[in-house]
Amino acid sequence: MLLQLNNISKWIQSGGQKVFLLKDIDLWVHEGDFISIMGPSGSGKTTLLNVIGMLDDFNQGEYTFLDQSVHTLKEKHRSNLYKQYIGFVFQSYHLIDELTVKENLEMPLLYKKHGGSERKALVADMLDRFNIVGKKDLFPSQLSGGQQQLVGIARALIANPKLILADEPTGNLNSKQGEEIMEIFKELNNEGVTIIQVTHSEKNTSYGSRIINLLDGEVV
Amino acid sequence: MIKNYIKMAWRNLLKNRITTLLNITGLSIGISACIIILIFIKYESSFDSHHSKAEYIYRVVQHNKLPDQTLYWNTTAYPLAEALRSDFSEIDMVTQAVGPVGREFSFVNQEKQQIRFEEKDVLFADPFYTKVFDAQWIVGDKNTALEDANSVVLTKSIVEKYFGLDSKNYQQVLGETIVLQGKDPLKITGVIKDFPANSNQRFSILIPYEFFKIKNQYFATNWSGNYQGTTFVVLKDKNTSSLESKISSWKKKYLKPEDDERISYFLQPLIEIHNETLYGSSPEGYILSSNILFNAGIVALFILIIAIVNFVNLLTAQSVSRSKEVGIRKVLGSKRLDLILQFLLENSLVICCTLCLSVAIVSILLDILNGKLSIINLQLALEWSHIVIIVGIGLISIVLGAIYPALVISSYKPIRALKNKFGSRKKNVFNIRRSLIVFQFVVVQLFVIATIIVGIQMNYFKNGNLGFTADTVLIVPTPEFNKIDVFKNSLLEENGISKVSFGSGPPMAVEGLQLGTSFRLPVQAKKEARNAEMKIGDTNYLDFYDLELLAGRNFTTNKEVFDEFIVNEKLLESYSWTPEEAIGKRIQINEGQATIVGVVKDYHNNSFQHEITPCIILNWTYFQNQAFIKIANHNYLAAGTVRTIWEDVFTNSIYKRNFLDDSIAKEYAIEHLVYNGFIIFSIIAISIGCLGLFGLMSFVISRRTKETGIRKVLGATAIQIFSSFSKEFIGLVIFAFCVAVPIVYYFMNLWLEEFTYRINISIWMLASGGLITLIISIITCSFQSIKAALTNPVNVLREQ
Repeated sequence: MLLQLNNISKWIQSGGQKVFLLKDIDLWVHEGDFISIMGPSGSGKTTLLNVIGMLDDFNQGEYTFLDQSVHTLKEKHRSNLYKQYIGFVFQSYHLIDELTVKENLEMPLLYKKHGGSERKALVADMLDRFNIVGKKDLFPSQLSGGQQQLVGIARALIANPKLILADEPTGNLNSKQGEEIMEIFKELNNEGVTIIQVTHSEKNTSYGSRIINLLDGEVV
Repeated sequence: MIKNYIKMAWRNLLKNRITTLLNITGLSIGISACIIILIFIKYESSFDSHHSKAEYIYRVVQHNKLPDQTLYWNTTAYPLAEALRSDFSEIDMVTQAVGPVGREFSFVNQEKQQIRFEEKDVLFADPFYTKVFDAQWIVGDKNTALEDANSVVLTKSIVEKYFGLDSKNYQQVLGETIVLQGKDPLKITGVIKDFPANSNQRFSILIPYEFFKIKNQYFATNWSGNYQGTTFVVLKDKNTSSLESKISSWKKKYLKPEDDERISYFLQPLIEIHNETLYGSSPEGYILSSNILFNAGIVALFILIIAIVNFVNLLTAQSVSRSKEVGIRKVLGSKRLDLILQFLLENSLVICCTLCLSVAIVSILLDILNGKLSIINLQLALEWSHIVIIVGIGLISIVLGAIYPALVISSYKPIRALKNKFGSRKKNVFNIRRSLIVFQFVVVQLFVIATIIVGIQMNYFKNGNLGFTADTVLIVPTPEFNKIDVFKNSLLEENGISKVSFGSGPPMAVEGLQLGTSFRLPVQAKKEARNAEMKIGDTNYLDFYDLELLAGRNFTTNKEVFDEFIVNEKLLESYSWTPEEAIGKRIQINEGQATIVGVVKDYHNNSFQHEITPCIILNWTYFQNQAFIKIANHNYLAAGTVRTIWEDVFTNSIYKRNFLDDSIAKEYAIEHLVYNGFIIFSIIAISIGCLGLFGLMSFVISRRTKETGIRKVLGATAIQIFSSFSKEFIGLVIFAFCVAVPIVYYFMNLWLEEFTYRINISIWMLASGGLITLIISIITCSFQSIKAALTNPVNVLREQ
């Protein structure tokens, strides 16, 4: 078991009333799963993903990640946890514009205090693996959307996470680029990486093993 | 990691070139101004402190008690030094000096040509002088150089100027003879280095005091009068009060009983001389009160703070564009501390660049400044005090300017930051920024209003009614009394010259020259005498300066022994006479007795800072050592003619001239300095303030682009959008004005109170300062808000 959510609820106070963003969510994720979260706009998909990624907190319920109960952890330990085990992929890539492809890839390693030669080797591996060696000295703005997302995935993978969280990874891409990205996720999943993606597209769910449908913050 | 940060910082700075430029410019203006002021303060407050005995050297000053006032003199009677030296064992050394005074010299150079020159800083000093003050001897025997009365010691600059020797050949001038005033040959016995510019000991030529003593037996032995003698003592310990009380009971040994009652001696530390206004300045020197230095320090602090405030404002405004990066970095594993370090490093980098730039600016500006203000010599040197100033300013800037923005930026929560969603929550920060803007504009308006008030007071100094006519008056010396008539007749033959008069000086005391005397009725005791100014004028004097007679008549003739007085109204106050009553009364002054024949309307016999004082004009030929020449029709070519005539008449002297209005302007040199300072600092404050406003405007507009787009889609016009942006800032400027007015009113009144004759602060002076700032800030706001108002809403809304 990689992670487990029990009765997770999250709400905001609006005009004296609780408005639920997430309500009584139960979720088990095993290592090697490829889960797709679906649902209409505003159904709480991204919020759920953020809660799983520990970027956002919740008001009620229990969250266990690798046998650690996240809800009891302090902010600092929690962020250490996600920094160590989770990689993020965003719809709008979120590469740092002022850094080249190579430097963007290197950044997570810097924060994890890897040595210089080790960093070089890992970055070279990743560039190789995603076939972007030729682009290593370009800045994000010089790349196509598909290429930027490739870099985004490579960056998420470089620190060797157990779990990848992808928030509409193909949302800003055309269908051909989107298919390529999904193929890559499929491959990664086959290599044993656990993936949770939020998506609008039925087609993208077909790459995954499980689908969770959300409506108004509840699993349906 | 560090490499990554620096790379990142560098690329970011390049990417936001304009903001970076604004940032660096604003801060470097502030830092440069601050460094210059601090170097100036350091310079002005360290006068004479370079002497190794500086701490133990004291100047003997004299308090002169008169019935109506006490006069504070920095001079003492000549015999005092000798007496102190022989009677007090606790005094290590005593030295005395006369001057500095202007003298003419001549010598025959190696090509057998006669060279003549005049030096204004000639000091008569005893042999102890070069031991009390650290003189550095280049050639000559320091123990005997000033022993012989007919010797002279030159400074390096004089040797270079007139003998054209470089330092290896200084030995050659030893033993050469130069002639003083065309009659006394003096043998050169030494060459010393010039004292640093920040010294009140101003001289370029030293002549033994012994020489002065021989030539002026009467003055040198007279205990009653002070002429131009200063006495310095070096104490063994700093216990001045016991010595002062000993001196006060000792002085009756030498002083006449009435003088003993009137005169008391005190010891003033050498290092305090330059910043203490009580005793005034010595000839050719100047005094800068510690008050002015303190205020300059405050100005420096304010300028630095508004520059830093501005820097912080611009940085936090910029941070919006960095929030995405912060989010990404946090998600990818950065700790807050990493981010704080990153931004701290980045900001410090900018500050360090700015500091380097400022040092360059400062060294250039100091050169210009030294050229403009010939009396001072400020240098940026590799000395501890300057390093401390620069490093200190750098550290203050980093602490205040780099840490806060780094803390703010690094505190963003990752998802909020990624979504740029922190706007609504950051109301708080924005308020801090608004208060910073208000603070900046309070300072800006303080400066602007102060500048206006100082300017108007300066204008009053320049154009206020003097009570006499001062324009187109040329003043030249008349070194030989017996040639005055020849000179006068030749002048009056010229068309360009309308009037000529002779006297001891113009109606207002300028160039530090004022003859003092005391006056009393013949029946009054000597100790009831009051202080008055004595002026010698010929029969044309009243007419020349348009002085108005209230009663009586003008002099009829000049006399070898004077027998008539013309006095001013002020003098009558002492006896509550009307002008008519005064006519025919006899008055006793130090120099003799005579009858009042005329009373003139009060005119400013002192500059506007000071009150009009009692004044007595004498018909005496003696002391008529200045000629006043009225140039007709502003024809300044006539000044050249005057020179030709003068050089024909006074063949043995060197020509020099002053225009009276220039000399009067010099009386306000310090006020003029303050005025110029205020102009410069207002401009600096306005530029920094506007940079800040510009930065804040960009920040607000970048935050409200979407709102602008929506407003435009819903039909708002460009003008409505412009006013919705500007309204708020105009409000801030007006609020700042309300804060600034009482402060500036209080301080400017304080400043004005130093002057006896001054303007009143009126509402329009305050309001016009506010208006100027308002207009400038509206213009600043418009750049950005017009741009925002004219943007196509589609471009803005599509991004969401």
